[in-house]
Amino acid sequence: MEYFTTELLTLLFAALRSATPVLAVVLGEAMTQRSGVINLGVEGQMLLGAMTGFAVASVTGDPWLGVIAACCAGIALSMVHAILVLGCGANQIASGVAVLILGGGLSAYYGTPFVGDKIDALGNLNHTFVSDIPLLGEFLGPITPTVLITLLAIPAISIFLFRTRTGLRWRSTGESQDITRNLGHNPTYYQLAAIAFGGLMSGFAGAALAVDYTANWVEGMTAGRGLVAVGLVIVARWNPWYALPAALLFGASEALNLKLQSWGVDISPYLLATLPYMIPLSVLMLSYRGLRASGGGMPAGLRVVFQSAR
Amino acid sequence: MKKVIRTLLASSILAISVQAAAETKVGFIYVGPKSDYGYNYAQDQGRLYMEEHMDDVETVYFENIPENADVQRVMERMVRSGVEVVFPTSYGYLDHALKVAEKYPDVHFAHSGGLKTSDNLMTYFAEIDQAMYLAGVAAGLTTETNQLGFIAAHPIPQVLRNINAFTRGAQSVNPEVTTSVIWTSSWSDPTKEAEAAEALISGGADVLTGHVDSPINYVQVAERRGVYSVGYHADASQFAPKGWLVGAIWNWGPMMVDIVNSAKDGSWKSEHLRGDLLTEAAMLSDFGAAVSEDDKQTVLDRQKAIMDEEFQVWAGPVIGQDGTVIVEEGDTMTLEETEKMDFLVQGVQGRLK
Amino acid sequence: MTSATQPVVKLGLQLLRGPAGAVLVMTAIFVVATLAFFAINGREAVSLFQEMVMGAFGDSYSFSETLVKTAPILLTALAVALPARLGLISVGGEGQLYLGALFGTGAVLAAVDQPGWILMPLMLAGSMAGGALWGVIPGLLKTRLGVNETISTLLLNYVGILLVSFVVHGPWKNPNSLGWPATIEFPAGAILPQFFDTRVHMGLVFGIVAAIVLHILVTRSRWGLGLQVSRSNPRVGATAGISYERNVLIVMAVGGLLAGLAGIAEASVIQNRLQDGLASGYGMTGFLVAWLAGQHFLRIIPLSVLMGGLLASADSLQLYAQLPKASADILQALLFIIVLAVASLWARRSNI
Repeated sequence: MEYFTTELLTLLFAALRSATPVLAVVLGEAMTQRSGVINLGVEGQMLLGAMTGFAVASVTGDPWLGVIAACCAGIALSMVHAILVLGCGANQIASGVAVLILGGGLSAYYGTPFVGDKIDALGNLNHTFVSDIPLLGEFLGPITPTVLITLLAIPAISIFLFRTRTGLRWRSTGESQDITRNLGHNPTYYQLAAIAFGGLMSGFAGAALAVDYTANWVEGMTAGRGLVAVGLVIVARWNPWYALPAALLFGASEALNLKLQSWGVDISPYLLATLPYMIPLSVLMLSYRGLRASGGGMPAGLRVVFQSAR
Repeated sequence: MKKVIRTLLASSILAISVQAAAETKVGFIYVGPKSDYGYNYAQDQGRLYMEEHMDDVETVYFENIPENADVQRVMERMVRSGVEVVFPTSYGYLDHALKVAEKYPDVHFAHSGGLKTSDNLMTYFAEIDQAMYLAGVAAGLTTETNQLGFIAAHPIPQVLRNINAFTRGAQSVNPEVTTSVIWTSSWSDPTKEAEAAEALISGGADVLTGHVDSPINYVQVAERRGVYSVGYHADASQFAPKGWLVGAIWNWGPMMVDIVNSAKDGSWKSEHLRGDLLTEAAMLSDFGAAVSEDDKQTVLDRQKAIMDEEFQVWAGPVIGQDGTVIVEEGDTMTLEETEKMDFLVQGVQGRLK
Repeated sequence: MTSATQPVVKLGLQLLRGPAGAVLVMTAIFVVATLAFFAINGREAVSLFQEMVMGAFGDSYSFSETLVKTAPILLTALAVALPARLGLISVGGEGQLYLGALFGTGAVLAAVDQPGWILMPLMLAGSMAGGALWGVIPGLLKTRLGVNETISTLLLNYVGILLVSFVVHGPWKNPNSLGWPATIEFPAGAILPQFFDTRVHMGLVFGIVAAIVLHILVTRSRWGLGLQVSRSNPRVGATAGISYERNVLIVMAVGGLLAGLAGIAEASVIQNRLQDGLASGYGMTGFLVAWLAGQHFLRIIPLSVLMGGLLASADSLQLYAQLPKASADILQALLFIIVLAVASLWARRSNI
């Protein structure tokens, strides 16, 4: 029984670690999409954030400066999307893909000199009061700051979005730009902020990977997690609270893939590796039926984007 | 008995400095980024060594070339731009290289790790499993839980050789030892590697090693979790000042210089050139502080035995995962047999494919 | 100015205000941006640019290699553009390509002893079935369960790639491949025809024919008209007897089928076998091209050639200037950004 509990807790915390960067992206992208803009470029923003964060941490020796730099890099790259979409009126899907490729290229190009550098990671909760908690202490101890920050972002975003006037206008922009405009506000301003926030969160997610979790920079190190996060926004139904289970689902299936191997399950590792993609897809299949009429909570402004494929 | 072809480096370096021939263009193709701090990094260090030690050589390189249609085009482009010696450094380039080599009989090709040759295509590699075996000895002496963890990318012969050699090394000093393998299905995915390391450690492993592009990820997790680590491809000791035991690393430079010289002076042979511990093409890194002097001596004694050919890593009995005898006592696996290895040995826990 | 030249100038100006002008501006900005990128990185900008153009179109060999790249880009772009005609955003070209290679190879392995006239059609049919399957599944998920096709095609890409890894490392691994994860070599009867002693293969012809046929079907046929109606208002379509659901399945299946052909062509002609890393991101490039072309089937053809040229000529960046591979990605992104920006601004201006 104790073995079982321990293994379960191990898996849960492994899921949380794997899920954190994805969760940060899901939260940011959900906010972006709430304003009626979709940004597929988050994967590129994550990569540029990871590289910048790692490079700054390496040069300055301060990982927290790295995190800040990563957020700035994410915002900067997201502005390319903003200029294309809001400034030029370009198609959002296409613009996102351009940003994705640009971020991948820039991070690989400018990250090369930093490969193999050793940086100080952000540290963890070990040797604080947390690690003395019975049973859980062993698991809570290794938790790192980016995990906590990302978790705290959930209530913060939720309160902002659902309890503040600005949040209301943010949401109304996503439903109909005209409403915001009639209320005397400029919807473009909200969308710009939304894209920038998505950039900040994806840059932060990159830092969570490179400065915190692995303390390493490798070209293409996000391995598609940013793109998957854009998909998980739909699983999370654009709700910051649902973002947690959605990201955990991905994290858990990733951790399970490795855990099942260490338990000696006799299934090809290549088939096990499909779990992080098959499980979210299955959840979408199971949960969608009832929500079909409501579109699953998709902001109306976003639906227009999906229907304007030309 | 396995015939290891030895390379003589000192004489060849002397030879070049006397020569004053026209520049020879040498081209390298890497499957990943040359700065991966792993396999491709090691090959590129060989290229840099060549530039430094041969003054009549000019090198070019291509990185991130997948093992598909692209590599053939890249080789053609190299040859057309005047490259005379091509180093296709990834296993999957072999058949493409054979095709291009047939088309350009005057150009020399040196493929890394393959088992086919043609008139102008030779192969080079190094028996790094000897170093992995020795690292396994160090791991077997160090482990307290008798569980070792191995983070592996794909079940191909080179990886299986290392898993098996590492395990056999550990078992040779500690028969209780088992090695758990987790496959990441990717040569480079830092998150997955770190998480695999976590899973192995929480499963009880207290020495980690691996065969993925770069050792940095699992070495850092091991250090953070307070267990030991063994590196592969490149020396990662700076990432684990406490837990680093030792690493198996490449040293391609001298071998590559020899190959280019043989192409220039006409002594080129289309052969399978294999370096080893003695030629130092594959070698042990420095030991970490975690290895006691006694244990270090045990490993070094075994290294000497291998170099003196008193001991063979693949001497029987070699027992498979399921208990079947693969190599009888008294027999030894040939070079070809080890280079197409398709089994895991007893004591390895993990699925073969 | 004489009166004779006036109409010519006028016509020229008119053209410049239209698409021709946009293309001219795009090209100019892209050339300047590329030169600037080279110069910033301390390279001989102009000569490097020349090398790049030569590397794509300079001689028959370079051009043939550009066309080798063109084929899969063209087919995967069509796999994106056709569903887009119904308002569907599919990003599944990569996965469909892999599934096509998987099923096509399955057919080859099942009928390996058969003569070419049986083997080849079987192989092509298999690849089309595999690609179509990976298109129909998201189609069904969309029509039956309402699952967004963008996310389902995205997730299925990863699954498709892993399925190929599974078979080449496991059940289909050639026992005589010295442990290398790949199937046996395809017999001669399963190698698609190639042209002029180059690697340019039938896949390119499939792509061009498909683009033309699709263009005619979509612009001229009742079915194509139905797609337009269905797309703008499924309910109106339904009253006219046009089933939106059925059309979703058709466009996804046909799109997948085309990407599947790209997959088997790569396996058959380029690799002669199925193995890991079959295609390096053709799906994403195809997606880009489809959007650059405004989902217009005929425009996709020249754009695929251009993009194939850009990717193939990236060699020269590494060869002559030792610029890393990433520089080609940066240029590709720059091209895309410039085209998007100029095209959008141009469209907006002409609307005023």
